[in-house]
Amino acid sequence: MYKLTVDDLHKKYGTHEVLKGVSLKAKAGDVISIIGSSGSGKSTFLRCINFLEQPCAGAITLNGEAIRTAPDKTGALCVSDARQLQQMRTRLAMVFQHFNLWGHMTVLENIIEAPMHVLGVSRAEAEARARKYLAKVGLPESVEGKYPSHMSGGQQQRVAIARALAMEPEVMLFDEPTSALDPELVGEVLKVMQTLAEEGRTMLVVTHEMGFAREVSNHVIFLHQGRVEEEGHPREVLNQPKSERLQQFLAGSLK
Amino acid sequence: MNEILQQYWQAYLWSDGYHLSGVAMTLWLLVASIGIGFVLAVPLAVARVSPNPLIRGPVWFYTYVFRGTPLYIQLLVFYTGIYSIESVRAQPLLDAFFREGINCTLLAFALNTCAYTVEIFAGAIRATPYGEIEAARAYGMSSFTLYRRVILPSALRRALPYYSNEVILMLHSTTLAFTATVPDILKVARDVNSATYASFEAFGIAGALYAVIVFALVWLFRRGEQRWLAFLKPQAH
Repeated sequence: MYKLTVDDLHKKYGTHEVLKGVSLKAKAGDVISIIGSSGSGKSTFLRCINFLEQPCAGAITLNGEAIRTAPDKTGALCVSDARQLQQMRTRLAMVFQHFNLWGHMTVLENIIEAPMHVLGVSRAEAEARARKYLAKVGLPESVEGKYPSHMSGGQQQRVAIARALAMEPEVMLFDEPTSALDPELVGEVLKVMQTLAEEGRTMLVVTHEMGFAREVSNHVIFLHQGRVEEEGHPREVLNQPKSERLQQFLAGSLK
Repeated sequence: MNEILQQYWQAYLWSDGYHLSGVAMTLWLLVASIGIGFVLAVPLAVARVSPNPLIRGPVWFYTYVFRGTPLYIQLLVFYTGIYSIESVRAQPLLDAFFREGINCTLLAFALNTCAYTVEIFAGAIRATPYGEIEAARAYGMSSFTLYRRVILPSALRRALPYYSNEVILMLHSTTLAFTATVPDILKVARDVNSATYASFEAFGIAGALYAVIVFALVWLFRRGEQRWLAFLKPQAH
């Protein structure tokens, strides 16, 4: 039984085809790294999974339940049941490149917001979750009353991870979580993600961090021009790349 | 000067012996028109940014009309214009409403300030960081929850400095109320002027009263910004 399956996903912007049939299967506890050069479609792929982008074709299934869709006039896939999508999204928490914390809310308010107002969890329970996950991402309780703009990027991204964890999601989607961080802040975020991976959480990570892909994930997907060029266990894929594209990509990224 | 104050201080502040007058009337005009304007402006601002032209269009037309014509003319239309229409006078409810100068004044003021407020709020809504909206969607929020919990709280806070400007301008606009025989501060000052011929004192006192009200408004908004805009301030180490 797969936790998350994505079948033959296609995405077009106008006439430009960004994804030409990408599939993925994740079992519970899988940590899948999606790598590729910029423009390869890896972020778009991740954002299609929770329909932040509208795919043109394909199917997404979470725990055996498919997101119900129907083609619209332009041929793109349209969600046919908005409530179902909202419910599915709560189980697919996302962490963004630019954190996307809600600026007018304090750290605590950011973390309890969706559990309280989307999941309907009580304030006491939501705050208990928030404290638990703040501790997990290594932030002291004293940050609770701070606003995101008053924190470093690494701290903001850890708050964003706590916000995702507070949803107690089935799959976590990470969209280049360290790409907007200063180099010295990347480590603290990666360390948190490694802890989560070791706990057995199911994670999809779009990343440029080859170290993370190699050490933490158990499956690597290399996207090139909207197709899966190569995939497999990180040791094989990253140490003995078969395709010329991946060899070039790795040679460039290891410099 | 002392004589004027002794004789007219009550009229300047709250009552001319028969009606609410002076500062009390001016504040009532301000609070009522700003209150009505605000309550209407929030949903209209949401409609103003709608992708649907059938929703966006009428609101655009409304703000265009009310921002495109002088408030003085709007007041005259509501006060004398509408009441001159036969069918309005024939309708008992409309007749009762438009006969009273204060009703016409409040209606004109509320619709006018609402139009400006709609544009201020709509601008703030458009400037909401897109990533925050995306995060709200990614966490399963419905459009209603998204507006209620993320877009409006954020936009109204960011609009506060511009909105305070609108409130102060509205206070100054209430001086037009005397046209509809509403006894606001300026109306009292004009009466004092014609009774005593002490123009400098009569209008000087009125000016000072407006300045005091503005001072209080600025203070209030300053407090509000400290409370609600703390998230935009550079960090105090």
